[in-house]
Amino acid sequence: MRLGIVRGTVVLNHAVPSLRGVRLVILEPVTAERLASGNPGGGKCLIAADQLGPGVGQMVGFAEGRTAASPWYPNDIPVDAYCCLIVENFDYSPPAKPARVNGKKTKKVRS
Amino acid sequence: MYLARIDGTLTSTIKHETLHGFRFLIAQRLEGDGSDSGEPQVLVDPIGASVGSIVMVTTDNDAVRKASAKTTPVRLVVMGIVDSVYMGAA
Repeated sequence: MRLGIVRGTVVLNHAVPSLRGVRLVILEPVTAERLASGNPGGGKCLIAADQLGPGVGQMVGFAEGRTAASPWYPNDIPVDAYCCLIVENFDYSPPAKPARVNGKKTKKVRS
Repeated sequence: MYLARIDGTLTSTIKHETLHGFRFLIAQRLEGDGSDSGEPQVLVDPIGASVGSIVMVTTDNDAVRKASAKTTPVRLVVMGIVDSVYMGAA
């Protein structure tokens, strides 16, 4: 599960039968740097199926891949992201300094 | 399975019905050299890992499916808290 910020919703006019009645939200995934800076977001936007109804701006946890279709088990549904939970509160405190391994500074991952 | 560092905790009231009763953690996946890899992830934690510890994570949702229901949408589960890691000299 990754974290994402709800940026909007999508409504389909014509849809495959298995997607009828499924609410879709647009999510902006949260990167480590932006989460630490207190302004979460920064990833590439994606669409997730949703049954919880989060509002725009709320943070959610979303599952990706085949697991995202599990809530409809044993039926098959063509979704690859699913909004699992609405974040109420979080505490995020990554280590301040990059970890040192064998005396060498590890490279910083840029997103 | 891979190693991750616990960077935080998370609470949620409104969530999928199969997720009630689980503890959630915000974690950072680690590379072999200990550096960060990718974006933060949310883990299900049945064993009680604390912030700052290194844990082993499985990507098989069978652990949650057996504890909860087959319709559960999560698959990242803390399998154990790491005591030590040994990697041979390069």
